[in-house]
Amino acid sequence: MRIDRGAPIFVAATFLALIVAPGLIQAVFEIRHGERPRALDIFLRPPTARNLHAYERSLEESSLVIQDLRPGMQYLQWRFLADTGEKAVVGRDGWLFYRPSVRYLVEGQAGAPEGDFTDPLPAIQLFRDELGSRRIRLLLVPVPNKESIYPERLAGRAEGAGVVICERTRRLLDRLEQSGIEYVDLFEVFRRARQQESRSDRERLYLARDSHWSPKGVRAAAAAVARRVLEEGTLHQGDRTYAERLVRVRRQGDLVQMLRVPQIERALEPEIVTCSQVIEADNGRPYHDATDSEILILGDSFLRIYEQDEPESAGFLAQLARELGRPLTSIVNDGGASTLVRQSLARRPALLKNKKLVIWEFAEREIRFGTEGWKIVPLVRSAKTPR
Amino acid sequence: MVFSTYLFIFYFLPLVLLLYYALESLSRRAGAPVERTTLALNAFLILASYVFYGWWNPWFVWLMLGMTVVNYVCGRILGRPGLGRDSRFWIVTFAIVVSLGTLGFFKYFLFVEDNLNQVLAWFGAGAFPVFEIVLPIGISFYTFHTLSYSIDVYRGTAPAVRSLLDFACYIALFPQLVAGPIIRYNTVADQLVSRSHTWERFASGVVLFILGFAKKILLANPMGRVADAAFEAQSLSTPDAWFGALAYAFQIYFDFSGYSDMAIGLGRMFGFEFLKNFDSPYHAESITDFWRRWHISLSTFLRDYLYIPLGGNRKGSRRTYFNLIVVMLLGGLWHGAKWTYVVWGAYHGILLALERLRGKRSAYRGWPRPVRVAATFVLVLISWVPFRAADLREATSYLGAMIGQGRSGPGTLVMPALLYTQGTLLIMAIGAAVVAWPIQAHDWSREVTWRKALVVHPLFGVSLLAMFSQAFNPFLYFQF
Repeated sequence: MRIDRGAPIFVAATFLALIVAPGLIQAVFEIRHGERPRALDIFLRPPTARNLHAYERSLEESSLVIQDLRPGMQYLQWRFLADTGEKAVVGRDGWLFYRPSVRYLVEGQAGAPEGDFTDPLPAIQLFRDELGSRRIRLLLVPVPNKESIYPERLAGRAEGAGVVICERTRRLLDRLEQSGIEYVDLFEVFRRARQQESRSDRERLYLARDSHWSPKGVRAAAAAVARRVLEEGTLHQGDRTYAERLVRVRRQGDLVQMLRVPQIERALEPEIVTCSQVIEADNGRPYHDATDSEILILGDSFLRIYEQDEPESAGFLAQLARELGRPLTSIVNDGGASTLVRQSLARRPALLKNKKLVIWEFAEREIRFGTEGWKIVPLVRSAKTPR
Repeated sequence: MVFSTYLFIFYFLPLVLLLYYALESLSRRAGAPVERTTLALNAFLILASYVFYGWWNPWFVWLMLGMTVVNYVCGRILGRPGLGRDSRFWIVTFAIVVSLGTLGFFKYFLFVEDNLNQVLAWFGAGAFPVFEIVLPIGISFYTFHTLSYSIDVYRGTAPAVRSLLDFACYIALFPQLVAGPIIRYNTVADQLVSRSHTWERFASGVVLFILGFAKKILLANPMGRVADAAFEAQSLSTPDAWFGALAYAFQIYFDFSGYSDMAIGLGRMFGFEFLKNFDSPYHAESITDFWRRWHISLSTFLRDYLYIPLGGNRKGSRRTYFNLIVVMLLGGLWHGAKWTYVVWGAYHGILLALERLRGKRSAYRGWPRPVRVAATFVLVLISWVPFRAADLREATSYLGAMIGQGRSGPGTLVMPALLYTQGTLLIMAIGAAVVAWPIQAHDWSREVTWRKALVVHPLFGVSLLAMFSQAFNPFLYFQF
């Protein structure tokens, strides 16, 4: 019997061509651009585990084949499998959700990262006490995750459930209360706001394809925080008058941008949102912070959206300033509200001068996933203060 | 280094194949004898394997080298003619103690210390300081390789290897180094001295490698995401808990059998032929049958080197049941130093003993075959819960959710978004079809035809594309 060797040779040769080609293409490309082939970098450093892993990462990140083919594959996975990969979860009616926030809602302690500084309370208590010793009041503003406010947009099973609070958040809020730490309960504010929403309402408290709140959510939160500030009596309504100007902006949504797939971005129409830009009534200039304000706000990207982003001066800071009738001082760090903003403040203690109130905003998911956890950050460093 | 990474597939593998076959061709053209050519190829494979292994941590290579030298020397002494019985016994004992002692230190020291501290805490005593010990990857597998060699030589079922290079190649051979299959020395002894390299064998290795790669990337990894979501959830409904357990059953099967296929396929590319490690385990009709089909290289190892030396079934029924349970308990513990693995092993040991009580037949042996298969699958599925769970508390709570005792919470409401997406349902269906398919990758890949060629390369292309869009995802058995 004659054995056909054609198929085995074809299989072997095609396989070899497939596995050799990417490295070869990469090397040729790099040489043509006057660079040394990155694959040779392995000979430049001692072969420690760290260097080897960095080398592997660098090969992968610079790979032309991956760069060219990955977006197409991600697009197909999104289109046919409703899978957006590691960053986002596809919800209903075209909504997207930030995967770490979904994990925050779903997971118990088992999935919690191990290590120090996972409990927010000690850091918050110390911060409150240190501010208290300077006669400055602390007001916390935990901003609910989108999943907690619109769970039914994530899964049909949550239809009719309304606003939900996961156990971890509930426990922290209870502990804050027991420790006498003031906070604004935005879950309750948004729950009431949602009760007034009808299905046909176009404007929601959060954006459909962004992990952040909408201008409506910003206004509701700013009004609630302002109410709380004024009720406590530390500060009275200021005398600065602001006006508002409606500005329409198109937002692709950070969740779409995180995917880094141009094909998906092209396939999805940006959301059009109407923002209230806060302007100074006397000169029409957009709102700006003032470092000599009696109020300092620390926070994350929930403060940045509409404020530093388009259209500017329409975010939480501007809305709160308008509600209180006075400008504010702020420290904003995307994803860094748990620790980085306090570190930033510790480096610039002059910002606390004249302050009577510090408002500390952080996203609910930061309770677990805050960058660098909840480190103890003494405002005045001393040998006795624990780190 | 991991098989399913850019570095391995596009740099390491082509470079090693190229140099290996260049060396083989040069040696053949120079008219070198086959044994000498093979020795040179083995030397090259050792070098490549040490680079592969050292990628995790170059220091681990020294440990493996040390184990290799100790067992080689013991094997050489055992192989000397005229060595007394007592001397042989003490030499093999020394080799076993060194191998198991090293494994025990790296894998179980922390576990023992933790448990000891807990016991001390009950009595109000102070705790020992807990040392963090990094587990060298693959140590469980290559320890079993060294054990198999020393014991086989002691028993006289394998000759003592003459060349240190051949022996080092057997221990370090990168395709099977970090997650098996566990290769018995006597099954590859001849191939280490002389093996043939043909297009047919190479191509069949390619086909098997691609099938294993596709199992890992297209089926195991997406199922893993579902299983992770379920097992890390704070609260679960009953259907979600079953769905998560099913996803894990698919993940572990496709992950591990995929790895085994890739390992055996790579072995074929370098002229080796390793034994099959999986034989459609989810077609098993009883737990006894399951262990003939699941991780065959481990179950036969435990049978030959533990169960039979313990007396097997030769010392009466009670002793047989006891032996079965002990072997499975230790088999569980081999997977990791955690009580969850002990429980998993005990569960299988008890089921095996119960079936032995009924003449190696399950309680449902009289039922139609599909029901027997389904019943066995459910029993296995339940066992995967403690195997996957982070600790016994999580396992208990998960099993509780499976029988309707789960807590409900806000997380339960949104779980469908993570579990029942279009993608996971489709992949689950494909996975189920692959599991049900009567033909296995190992057998299907033996003969390469044009029709198969037209299937595997598109499959490889799709798997590569999927790999590019996935996060780093090492094989589950690396942790063992």
